[in-house]
Amino acid sequence: MSYNFTINMIPLVIAAVISGALAVYTWINRKAAGATLFSLMMFILFEWGMSYIFELAGTDLQTKIFWEFMKFIGVVATPVAWLFFAFEYTGRKTWVNARNIVMLSIIPVVTLIILITNNTHHLFRTERSLGFESGFTILETVNGPWFWVHSAYTYLLIMVGLVILVRALLHWPPQYRGQMIWILLAVLTPLIANAVTIFNLAPIQIDLTPYAFTVTGIGMAYALFHHRFLDIAPIARDIIIDGMKDGMIVTDANRRIVDINHAALKIIGFSEKKQPIGKQLADVLSPWSDLVAKYRDVPEAEDEISIGEGDAQRWYELHISTLRDENNLLIGRIITTRDITERKHAEKQIIESEARFRQIVENASDLIYRVNTDGVLTYANPSALRAMGFENEEEAIGKHYLDLTTPEMRHKLKRTYQHQFLSKTKVTYHEFPAIAADGREVWFGQNVQLIYEDDQIVGFQALARDVTAIKQAQDALRIARDQALEASRAKTQLLSKVSHELRTPLGGILGYAELMQGNTFGQLNQKQNKAVTEIMDSAEYLGNMVNELLDEAQLRSSTATLIEKNFSPFKLVQAAASGMDIMAQKKGLMFSLQIDPNLPQEIFGDDRRIRQIIINLIGNAIKFTKEGSVRLNVSRADENHWEIQVADTGIGIPKEAQSNIFEPFKQVSSSVTRDNRGVGLGLSITKQLVDLMHGRIVIESEPGSGTKFIIILPITREG
Amino acid sequence: MTKPFAFIIEDDPKLNEIISITLQKDFDLETCMDGNEALGRLKDITPQIVVLDLNLPGTTGADILKSIRADERLAKTRVILATADERQAETLTDDADIVLLKPVSPGQLREMALRMSAH
Repeated sequence: MSYNFTINMIPLVIAAVISGALAVYTWINRKAAGATLFSLMMFILFEWGMSYIFELAGTDLQTKIFWEFMKFIGVVATPVAWLFFAFEYTGRKTWVNARNIVMLSIIPVVTLIILITNNTHHLFRTERSLGFESGFTILETVNGPWFWVHSAYTYLLIMVGLVILVRALLHWPPQYRGQMIWILLAVLTPLIANAVTIFNLAPIQIDLTPYAFTVTGIGMAYALFHHRFLDIAPIARDIIIDGMKDGMIVTDANRRIVDINHAALKIIGFSEKKQPIGKQLADVLSPWSDLVAKYRDVPEAEDEISIGEGDAQRWYELHISTLRDENNLLIGRIITTRDITERKHAEKQIIESEARFRQIVENASDLIYRVNTDGVLTYANPSALRAMGFENEEEAIGKHYLDLTTPEMRHKLKRTYQHQFLSKTKVTYHEFPAIAADGREVWFGQNVQLIYEDDQIVGFQALARDVTAIKQAQDALRIARDQALEASRAKTQLLSKVSHELRTPLGGILGYAELMQGNTFGQLNQKQNKAVTEIMDSAEYLGNMVNELLDEAQLRSSTATLIEKNFSPFKLVQAAASGMDIMAQKKGLMFSLQIDPNLPQEIFGDDRRIRQIIINLIGNAIKFTKEGSVRLNVSRADENHWEIQVADTGIGIPKEAQSNIFEPFKQVSSSVTRDNRGVGLGLSITKQLVDLMHGRIVIESEPGSGTKFIIILPITREG
Repeated sequence: MTKPFAFIIEDDPKLNEIISITLQKDFDLETCMDGNEALGRLKDITPQIVVLDLNLPGTTGADILKSIRADERLAKTRVILATADERQAETLTDDADIVLLKPVSPGQLREMALRMSAH
């Protein structure tokens, strides 16, 4: 093999080297879409170009035929690589698979086999000879039938790839169109050159195709470096940029829209079909001319804007940034908008709610303040500021909360709240003295709550109130209550003492008199007996008077209490009546007792006092009745009441006397009392006891026709 | 036939005498006018009837009543409580066999004491 390299091969070498360099460069950056196949294609072109150089440089037919075969490896592989590159570059990645590669490689492989065995059948080249053209020694050929099959297949693949790219070109955003056009030009150039060579249209007999590859390489290189081909994959752009919720508009240096995504189109009210690309941004955004004017000359901006009004109002976060090339020249601007309407609404609600609560706190007459863990004020409402003697909030912030109280109290208050911090007591209430703005000593009642942030105590908030008036009232009440209790205790003690001191000598008088009457100290004569009876009567009267006075005094001073328990009304009434019938008989009166069987078996109440009432009324009735009868009738008045009736056939009580008969020491007439002397407290005590039992006493009487007392008591149950 | 034994605890000498006269015909008597002394005697004697005043110097009647009720040996002893204080008497009705409010009638007391000692 012998070669003759000439200077006019340099363009071919340059073209091949460019292809090779591109192959290496794109291989290094093969992560981008289509890069691997582009790199492969460039490598094949490199192989084609280099082989052609060696074919041209060969000086004998044998050498040229060898390199022609080598060249054809690149020639048949190029369209296949091109088609797969077109697939991948336009997003049809799944089409690049083993089955398709095998199918599409069948004809190229057959071509190579036919070419290498051409001497036996001449199906590819019918003739091959050396020729001279434009200073090159060339291989002159006459093409056989398979050559045309190969050519048709080659053009078919290239055309299919072209159609795919052109369709994508029409669909893609403009900033990728420059890149694509350069790629198409780069591909079309060798194609045209090849067509010219095949159909012998050129004035010279040299294969222009490899020369065209110089153009291809340069075109590709331009696409690569100028348009940053392979840097941004257009498919990724479609998916990411149009899929974004944020609006994005890209303008060029002349404020023309060069790219706009779906979200931005939606905001400005354009459909995806009718894209405003190429139009002036100001024209497209004419409804918002004020915004356009505001940001027209602002290179960078970060702002919040609103579009629309009322319910349709939307809020956006606006970002404007400039795009500059390597030389720092302005090439356009990128505008993004993020819909922050929801956030804005939430913020507005928070602000409104905050304002509402602030108003309440600021206008509260209570003192409200917050301090940090050092006890330093972080907030104080006007009431708190006034109380602590600060002019305004600025003056107060940073000061200590203990300013609120008097100097003497500070230490104690500090200890109190330190303890709350340490023990982590959520809420405390303390009262302490303070000096008011006017110098007066006032008392504050203060509620203190710990403030937590992330489980950490960061301070406390306090709500304090002037409780001076309440405190004074409480003090007064406490004193009054203490005094009343003391007075009541003293009275009870006195009563108890009097009761004991009076009853004991009475016991002596009555005891000795009774013993004398029973002839214990010798037989008494009639006069002595009468005298002893008088002593006993007087002593008994005195005893009754003591009892009644004590009852009256206790009831009047409200120290009388009921000793309540469950009792049987049947037993009670019978016991109370048992002594009375003897008394009545002694006076020659009829005594009758009637008990209603419908009474409850048990009633809750003070049985001793009820018995006292019954005895009192019957005693009165007997006392004031000269002849006839005394009747006791106990019955159930209704579901919740029972009734005690004591009726007599005595002298009766005139109407005018009935109204004040229950007042103490009232006697109906002096004529009666001479015969039937009594203290005059019985009815008063009865009335007061009935009142104490929440009952009622009624009197039915007319002079001469007897008297009926009716006592109605509630039926209460224990508890 | 031996008479039943009654122990009278009453600090007022007149009342003490009245009670003694009232009961002397039917009972063997021992009297006492001081709470502490009474408590001491009750360790040695076993009366059938105790007539007890509430308001005593030394140990009070209420405490003497409690100590009688706590003493197994005096389980059969009947206590007649005599007091001038109604309220206080009210609280002791469950412990005493009978409560008599002063002034006490001698006849009534004798009847009560006899009825109780018969049981």
